[in-house]
Amino acid sequence: MNRIKEIFLKELRVEFRQKYTLGGIFLFSATVVFLIYKVFNTVTELEWSILLWIITMFSALNAIVKSFSQEKKGTYLYYYSLFDPIELIIGKLIYNTLFIFLLFAAILLFMSLFLGFPVKDTELFFGASFLGIFGLSTILTFISLISTSDQTGSTLMSVLSIPLILPIMLLLLKTTAVSLRLITDTSIDQDVLLLAAIDAIMLGTVIILFPSLWRS
Amino acid sequence: MYTKTQKFIQQSFIIILMVLLLSPEVNAQGIDFLRSTGKIYSVVAVIVILFSGIFYFLYRIDNKLTKLENHIKNE
Amino acid sequence: MLKGWWWKFGGAFIFLYVLIGGMTIPLRPGITSVQPSNAKTGENILLDITGYNTHFDQAKNIRAWLKLDSTHAINALKTNAEGPNHLQMEFQIPETAPDGNEVYPLHLIIDNEIDGAFILPNAVFVSRSTDSLMFNPNEWTNGKMDKFHNYTGIQFPYRNILNETIRNTFFHVALWFAMFILLLYGVYYSIRYLRSGNFDNDRLASSYTIVAILYGSLGILTGSVWAKFTWNTFWTNDVKLNMTAIALLIYFAYLILRGIQYDQDKRARLAAIYNIFAFIALIPLVFVIPRLQDSLHPGNGGNPALGGEDLDNTLRMFFYPSIIALFLIGKWMAEILTRYERLKDQYFIKSK
Repeated sequence: MNRIKEIFLKELRVEFRQKYTLGGIFLFSATVVFLIYKVFNTVTELEWSILLWIITMFSALNAIVKSFSQEKKGTYLYYYSLFDPIELIIGKLIYNTLFIFLLFAAILLFMSLFLGFPVKDTELFFGASFLGIFGLSTILTFISLISTSDQTGSTLMSVLSIPLILPIMLLLLKTTAVSLRLITDTSIDQDVLLLAAIDAIMLGTVIILFPSLWRS
Repeated sequence: MYTKTQKFIQQSFIIILMVLLLSPEVNAQGIDFLRSTGKIYSVVAVIVILFSGIFYFLYRIDNKLTKLENHIKNE
Repeated sequence: MLKGWWWKFGGAFIFLYVLIGGMTIPLRPGITSVQPSNAKTGENILLDITGYNTHFDQAKNIRAWLKLDSTHAINALKTNAEGPNHLQMEFQIPETAPDGNEVYPLHLIIDNEIDGAFILPNAVFVSRSTDSLMFNPNEWTNGKMDKFHNYTGIQFPYRNILNETIRNTFFHVALWFAMFILLLYGVYYSIRYLRSGNFDNDRLASSYTIVAILYGSLGILTGSVWAKFTWNTFWTNDVKLNMTAIALLIYFAYLILRGIQYDQDKRARLAAIYNIFAFIALIPLVFVIPRLQDSLHPGNGGNPALGGEDLDNTLRMFFYPSIIALFLIGKWMAEILTRYERLKDQYFIKSK
């Protein structure tokens, strides 16, 4: 538990040491939201929900690509001798989830500044969003480790991860549409449950597979 | 050994063959033909696609093996 | 388990059996269309019935009913066969009906000694005339449905929109099932690779996955041809279709991952891990999400599921063998590919 906290804090320190990347990602989301505001002027609620998730997805992709590639090979070896792989991945996961959720909150803030905040069922909205973001960060973190390669960079990452995160994205879009009261669905709990189930499955798989990936 | 041009000609031949096989479904007259007698010809189309897929796979492996054989021969 | 050559022969033989049986066994007789398809209460209507695979002109004893529910039905007054697949019959629609709906459907049942009994649900829609009368049960009792003839012999069920394309079950649907078995094999060998580090397992895993991708692409192609003749479009916005498209995207990404020039050990390890991860991500994708939304496919949104009436025993006689045959053929293809890869690796290691 202590070590997980250590990894988490270390990630936080690394992130704050490189202020420009952190600021860059937030600036990126702000710019995109402003661009959309200038292009659309007004958006319908459906467009709002779609734009929110598309921006979040690409920002998250941008943010997590460097999750493993920012460190040098020597540092890896150092970690390998220092931490248990499961502790490492859990620390990374917690950090990435919180980071993307922060990013999501920032995007939400910008969107509500420029385009309004049409969410009616906030409980469902934030609950489902958190579950979805946890799933997103799990898949993205894992794939970012697979696609760590000198030649391909972030192309491979998006090719590998976008099809995998699609089911989560579709579920998120549906729950958001319900929380905006665009559609009514009495069995929306099932979708939230499904999101949680996907999260659990993905988390389990990552924990099982990570040690053998870490060895290479 | 296959040259690149030969390979290109072979592959375009296969593509043309596929297009010819599939073209009856694309024009409207063909659709009417395939719909006749209880749509049995759509089943035939499905089987043709299935077989051409398997055939394509075999053809690819054949090509690859030929290349490998030539490599070994040239040693 | 599958050693030697006999299973290859078996796969080809079973596929031949499916091909011959699946294409030659006739469909059960059915009703294609009924004209006119609506009527008013109290009307005397002359129905023009087009059948499929029927023998109306040879049959001596044709009986027909319009059925409202299990206790209420009316008998045909006159039947007149105009050809093997063409029949005219006269019905007297009763003045009254038991339930309160404005429009109610009647199901047409035809029975004769050659074809047996068959039914067209919702054949005629009867609209109630404005003056409502008290329900008179006597009008509905002249049709006594009993002593149905049974057709003996093997036949595939007749479905109204599907018609002969129900045979595609053996080739299109079975293709998907075979694909899943092959993917499962690929995952199995990926796990074996991660445990043993033997490159042969990696080759096997990649070969099985490649053949599964081939089957998946063929499944999409055949499915869109089938859809063209039943739903009249190559691609619908059906969830199941989109989900399988995403599944294929995932596995195309796998091919891209394999194509990157890492050293062999790293490539094999990454591919194995991605393969396992993708397969697990596929489970919610293909099986769970389509259940949340309506789909044209069986098993969704009120459509009958496989195992219900849709897949009856005669279809099963060919459907399951077809899965086995396609799987065995796929296994054969995968093993040939593996042997090629093995040979190539041996040759290039030696020449270095």
